[in-house]
Amino acid sequence: MLATLAQAVINGLLIGGIYALVSIGVTLIFGVVKIVNFAQGEFVMIGMYISFFLASSFGVDPLLSLLISMPTLFAIGVLVQHFLIRRVLGLGDMPQIFLTFALSLLLMNVALLLFTANYRTVQTAYSESSFHIGPLYFAVAKLIAFVIAMLLSAVLYLFLHGTDLGKAMRAAAQNREVAMLMGINPDRVFCVAVGVALALAGAAGSLLMPFYPAYPLVGQVFVLMAFVAVVLGTLGNITGALIASLMMGVAESLGVQFVGADSGLIVVFVLLLLTLALRPNGLFGGWAR
Amino acid sequence: MGAVRSARFTRSWSWVAALAAAGLVLPVVVADPFALDIFIRVFLFAFIGVAWNLMGGYAKQLSLGHAAFFGLGAYTSTILLIRFGISPWIGILAGGLVAMAASLPIGALCFRLRGPYFAIATIATAQVLMLLFLKFRDFAWGAEGTTLPNLGDAPLMMQFESRAAYYYIALALLTLGLAITYCIERSWIGFYLVAVGEDEDAAEAVGVDTTKIKRHIYLISAFLTALAGTFYVEYIYFIDPNTAFSFNISVEAALVSIVGGIGTLWGPVVGTVLLEATSALLQSWLGSGHGGVQLTVYSLILIAVILWRPNGLIGLFTDLYQRFTHAGAARAKEVPFDG
Repeated sequence: MLATLAQAVINGLLIGGIYALVSIGVTLIFGVVKIVNFAQGEFVMIGMYISFFLASSFGVDPLLSLLISMPTLFAIGVLVQHFLIRRVLGLGDMPQIFLTFALSLLLMNVALLLFTANYRTVQTAYSESSFHIGPLYFAVAKLIAFVIAMLLSAVLYLFLHGTDLGKAMRAAAQNREVAMLMGINPDRVFCVAVGVALALAGAAGSLLMPFYPAYPLVGQVFVLMAFVAVVLGTLGNITGALIASLMMGVAESLGVQFVGADSGLIVVFVLLLLTLALRPNGLFGGWAR
Repeated sequence: MGAVRSARFTRSWSWVAALAAAGLVLPVVVADPFALDIFIRVFLFAFIGVAWNLMGGYAKQLSLGHAAFFGLGAYTSTILLIRFGISPWIGILAGGLVAMAASLPIGALCFRLRGPYFAIATIATAQVLMLLFLKFRDFAWGAEGTTLPNLGDAPLMMQFESRAAYYYIALALLTLGLAITYCIERSWIGFYLVAVGEDEDAAEAVGVDTTKIKRHIYLISAFLTALAGTFYVEYIYFIDPNTAFSFNISVEAALVSIVGGIGTLWGPVVGTVLLEATSALLQSWLGSGHGGVQLTVYSLILIAVILWRPNGLIGLFTDLYQRFTHAGAARAKEVPFDG
């Protein structure tokens, strides 16, 4: 019983690392650009397909294809910010919500057209392998994904706190007008923020590929999880999103383990609604980063 | 000015009368069931759009979870029909009442939130309902769903041999939705809704009870959406959680309103006609079986509308109308703030 519980917690934490990459992206865009990106999950999907095609056509290991998926998604992010999001900033809720929402619909359905609804998987040497410590099993692919996800989160943290550009992003998030008065170019900062957020989504996609199938709607799973984590962790708060994502992973895993295989999502949604009802500002409040 | 207004009044009503006459006569002229099916779909989705628009358009509460009420309407009437033998004519009203009842707790939860939070919370409520109905295996047939019993030509049970009957029901629903919107638009409720939509804090500050007005419009919107749900399952003779609580229903409700013209009486109708016409054209060009084409095109249209015509395509038509009627231009100068 205790071992089952511990195993469920470990499984949840490992997948929570992937949720963290997605939700950090969502919260970064919200914090800096003040837009909720409904399409974040579709960028995970794009990252997955990039890794899938690199693996199936050129035999590139999905983990190595991080080096391609992240810069590609960064570039897509800059373009999305420059040509789409920038044009609806300050226009009210309807355009801001429905622009990225429409983008999400578009990407899903273009993927459906191009790649069909088939599940695509990549088999690597480590896809099926696992090891155990005492009674607890660790899937190697998930463990690698978790470790890299945490490393990337740490790099982002250092970037935001240690570099001028990162500090400019945090400044723009806190107060756009004052940041502009201090000589920060908001357009550039916004492009970088969206680019970085999408690069993280791309990384999540590549990290998932060894143990998770790619299909056009796969992003929906991750974006819903990310929304819950982002709200739970207070919109715009990166550390909050990270902790909340790990919690979401554990909650989902416990739901699957103890309530039933198809109840993971119910647990997540109920948590979301409870959070919105009880702590609409999230568990961590304020702007602590 | 009074004369101008009344002339305008007569002119706009003659349009409506012409449309209504055409709508009533159409099934007599067009007997092709495929064509009638397209019209039924247009009326139905326009009606769902009209119901959404009361909330999303006038009060700018951008719900992405109207499938919750569509599904509740569909399931209530179907359960009453199959388990208790109660006619869907009663079931459709019962479904509406169930949806109204459900809108109260959902509203209490979601109305504390604004903008994107509100949209996300409404998505979650619809998804939770879908997941719950997937679990209700004994009572509501679980994931497999069920077909509705075919009772032949039984008008009292909302089942008809002729497709024209369904056509008239769909038309009646749309007319009901438009009439309710028309009345609300012109009443104090309409002004309150627009005030909430423009700036909720300001509305509150000048004495609008924003919580109450949002709750009221949510009740009406939920009721109407549930009627559509019952009608839909009666029309296709099948129900399962993925159909009844389909996210696509929530999306189309918002989509047709935004493409047509958010917060306008005719916007959802214009939007539905344009989108369904596009979809029918695509199908005749490409044939069916190209999964994704329709929504790809819809989302491109939506992006284009948001970037270049955020007030919807209905503006194009009124602009053209004014350009072609000299009186229109003169009138625009005379009463700039009217309607």
